[in-house]
Amino acid sequence: MKRILSSVTDGKGFDIGLVLLPLAFLFVLSGLPLVYNVVMSFQEVDMFSLGSFVRPFVGFKNYVDLFSQPETAPILLNTALFVTASIAGQFIIGFGLALFFWMNFPGASWLRGLFLVSWVMPGLVVGAIWNWILSGDFGVLNFFLREMGVIAGNIFWRSDPNYSLWAVIIANIWLGTSFNMILLSVGLSAIPRDLYEAAELDGATALQRFFTITLPMMRSTIGAIIALGLIFTLQQFDLFAGITSGGPNNSSNVTQYWAWDLSFRQYDFAKGATISAIMIVFVMLASVVYVRSTRHEVRG
Amino acid sequence: MDIRRRAMLGMIALASISLPAFSAQAEDVTITVWSLDRDIQPAPNLIKEFNKLNTGIKVEYRQIQFDDVVSEAMRAYSTGQAPDIIAVDNPEHALFSSRGAFLDLTDMVAKSSVVKPENYFPGPLASVTWDGKLYGIPKATNTIALFYNKDMFKAKGLDPDKPPQSWDELVEAARKLTDPAANVYGLAFSAKANEEGTFQFLPWAQMAGGGYDNINAEGAVKALDIWKTIIDEKLASPDSLTRGQWDSTGTFNSGNAAMAISGPWELDRMIQEAKFDWGVALLPVPKIGSERSSAMGDFNWAVFSSTEHPEEAFKVLEFFVSQDDRMFKDFGQLPARSDIAIPPTGEPLKDAALQVFLEQLKYAKPRGPHPEWPKISKAIQDAIQAALTGQMSSKEALDQAAEKIKAVLG
Amino acid sequence: MSDQIRNRLMLGVALVLAAIYLFPLYWMYVTALKTGSAVFATPPNFLPSTPQWSVYPYVWESRNMGRYLWNSLVIALGAVSLVAVLGVGCAYVLARYRNVWVDVGLFLILMLQVLPASLMVTPIFVGFSQFGLLETPRLAVILAIAAKTMPFFVVLVRATFMSVPMELEEAALVDGNSRIGAFFNIALPLARNGILVSAILIFMQAFGEFVYSKSMIQAVELQPASVGLNTFMGPNTNEWNNIMAYATIYVTPVLAVFVLLQRRIVSGLTSGALK
Repeated sequence: MKRILSSVTDGKGFDIGLVLLPLAFLFVLSGLPLVYNVVMSFQEVDMFSLGSFVRPFVGFKNYVDLFSQPETAPILLNTALFVTASIAGQFIIGFGLALFFWMNFPGASWLRGLFLVSWVMPGLVVGAIWNWILSGDFGVLNFFLREMGVIAGNIFWRSDPNYSLWAVIIANIWLGTSFNMILLSVGLSAIPRDLYEAAELDGATALQRFFTITLPMMRSTIGAIIALGLIFTLQQFDLFAGITSGGPNNSSNVTQYWAWDLSFRQYDFAKGATISAIMIVFVMLASVVYVRSTRHEVRG
Repeated sequence: MDIRRRAMLGMIALASISLPAFSAQAEDVTITVWSLDRDIQPAPNLIKEFNKLNTGIKVEYRQIQFDDVVSEAMRAYSTGQAPDIIAVDNPEHALFSSRGAFLDLTDMVAKSSVVKPENYFPGPLASVTWDGKLYGIPKATNTIALFYNKDMFKAKGLDPDKPPQSWDELVEAARKLTDPAANVYGLAFSAKANEEGTFQFLPWAQMAGGGYDNINAEGAVKALDIWKTIIDEKLASPDSLTRGQWDSTGTFNSGNAAMAISGPWELDRMIQEAKFDWGVALLPVPKIGSERSSAMGDFNWAVFSSTEHPEEAFKVLEFFVSQDDRMFKDFGQLPARSDIAIPPTGEPLKDAALQVFLEQLKYAKPRGPHPEWPKISKAIQDAIQAALTGQMSSKEALDQAAEKIKAVLG
Repeated sequence: MSDQIRNRLMLGVALVLAAIYLFPLYWMYVTALKTGSAVFATPPNFLPSTPQWSVYPYVWESRNMGRYLWNSLVIALGAVSLVAVLGVGCAYVLARYRNVWVDVGLFLILMLQVLPASLMVTPIFVGFSQFGLLETPRLAVILAIAAKTMPFFVVLVRATFMSVPMELEEAALVDGNSRIGAFFNIALPLARNGILVSAILIFMQAFGEFVYSKSMIQAVELQPASVGLNTFMGPNTNEWNNIMAYATIYVTPVLAVFVLLQRRIVSGLTSGALK
């Protein structure tokens, strides 16, 4: 007994307690709902049987039904495009900004801090602002593009199936860039400056220095950013709700919005849960990437 | 169980910050009402008045969004959190009554001196009826017609007293009225992928011999082709595909559209905002002399079968019904009743519009009732969007919708 | 001399970049001050000719914003306290060890936040209703938000603890401190900055949370500002000036706190929280 007690105050027990308590909390509030979703994907769910667990099991019927729907393939493609383009955009712009602010000049850190405001804005507000900026007839983005001579007529960002997904991607890149930038700034500041000095002495060009020093040194940061970016992007919901609602004709629909739409607009909870279950698999992969990327960490 | 109780108590103790700050008088029965009415609309105002009467019934109100009514209601009902009274959109009423989620009001209505089924229009009454029993009371009714900007008609050489009568005339007028340089579209309507799109399209299909159970009729295809012409020629904003009726009509009020298809709920705002002379006309028909049709809209009151106070809830409904005669004057809504002659409001534009809407209401058809209406509606919305974005021809899109609807209807 | 020119040039470019990036925010502020018809003017005005300052008191009054913001504050503070209490220890332990169990723990923590709130809300709602938690809806939302944001907090704070040298702690243990003592006297103070910064970020997320609040809080007296904004936007999307005024009132306090503290936040982030 005493040993247990002292281990709680002093040894492994202390550590385990610290981890288990929050894990238990997470398990109850996140784990069980996940399980509920997965179980539901194998059941026939009626909207009035939501409150109970006892429902007829239908095996893989929901999955088969789902993949026989004509909109499934395009929506999966949209999701892939949304995730890739958002992450690429956020990463490239974020990296560019991080590199730019890395070159020290007066005011750099203060201005860099300002960029972070996009990240603390409520998603709903960001959705509302971008909805307004992107609107077809009165949107200010169209005005800029017209003035710059990029476009002749207005682009109907929200209503044109060729652009609707990009409308959300633009807003999402705006939202996520600052997070990428700050993470990358942190990674950059951790690279010892003398490495560059040495390389400069060896006559390496700026480009060579970037590819031989910066990128390799940033590997674990980049891995973490991309994995977290994937998770955040797959969770992005407010912007779809705020800008296009997945339309027109599903042209900007992605799995996370579709699952919600099936559940709460068409009351097909089983299909919504089925999509959730499929998404879980994808995020599992991202989590593996993230955890692997932390392998390279060193305690400082 | 005991542990669960204790855990719960602990949590509640922790949650003292979350405890509601109000408390009802001990002897009062509390009735909760959910509806989508905003502060200038009937429900919250009627409830305020009701609470002032001190009947021993205290009514609490919660506003929910149009898009959330059904999902919130379902989730609340299936977990025992349902309110006593709710207002649901009429095509969705059958979803609940067919499953016993709403209380059968037949007996209470039979005894009531205020609510009399024979006073109601048949369409709204049909939407609250399931299996010969009454599961609700129509809250109001509405339908859509054509608003037009008389000043713009004059400016473009059109006769402001002769609004378009047929589809062809409508398109022709829209072409003349569209003026990209001045940021004016000929027409504003809603083809949004929600119930509003269905609501706007069904009248067109019905006028041409189609209907939700015959959505790929030749006339319905023609109707969708006309819509496509309107969108393709930019006679209406491409944003019509993602904008609801209220937003679309907003562009009419601000002078950015010369005509708008919408309902009487717009009247109060239009009188305030529109700085031009406008009128209302019946919905154009396929050819002059064709059969008229429109869709019947608006919400119904219902009592959840889980209520602990059915009698009191019904009393609240009776109070709402007793105020039906001032609905139009105060809130711009039309009571769903044939026994009430709506008195003039003294506002000439509003009174003129009223006559058109009352005429149009005669042709209004209910959507359903069918317990799986959301699926039927979704098939129609998908077809509209697929055709208008050019991903399918109108015929293909409606054929696909017809197939999906057939599967639902069985 | 050339350094000075370079610095000025860089600063100029930085200002332009910031102006482009922050334009959406500027547009929110400007739109709020326009009259109803000026909102739809083409070409748009970039400076409102007759700023309508009265929009703020009008929106504040008519939308009852004081109550909404108070609820947002209560929810955000509750969530952030819960996350901090539970998350710091977890992050600390995950930073102290480097073995397969840590990998599993990290993996589980990340896995548990895979689904967007919009999909988690139904099961959570069902579960909460069984336990009567919906009687105290703000607590219910606090719990749900805490579960949602904790993984991110743990990841951030874990990185902070990684930068606390283990030797310091070991030295403390040798000096006769207990593990608890070492944790509270050494590790925690050294990681304070990172924890604070992460907590601020969680606070801001919780302050803007929408999906859970919307579904679980039925009494309008208890709803936070995000739900209020949504109620406002609903069918009324062409009142852009009022909506933007609401958004302005909603986010400006948060942004102000952020800008005031940003030096601290950024240095907290760069000095470890995100490593």
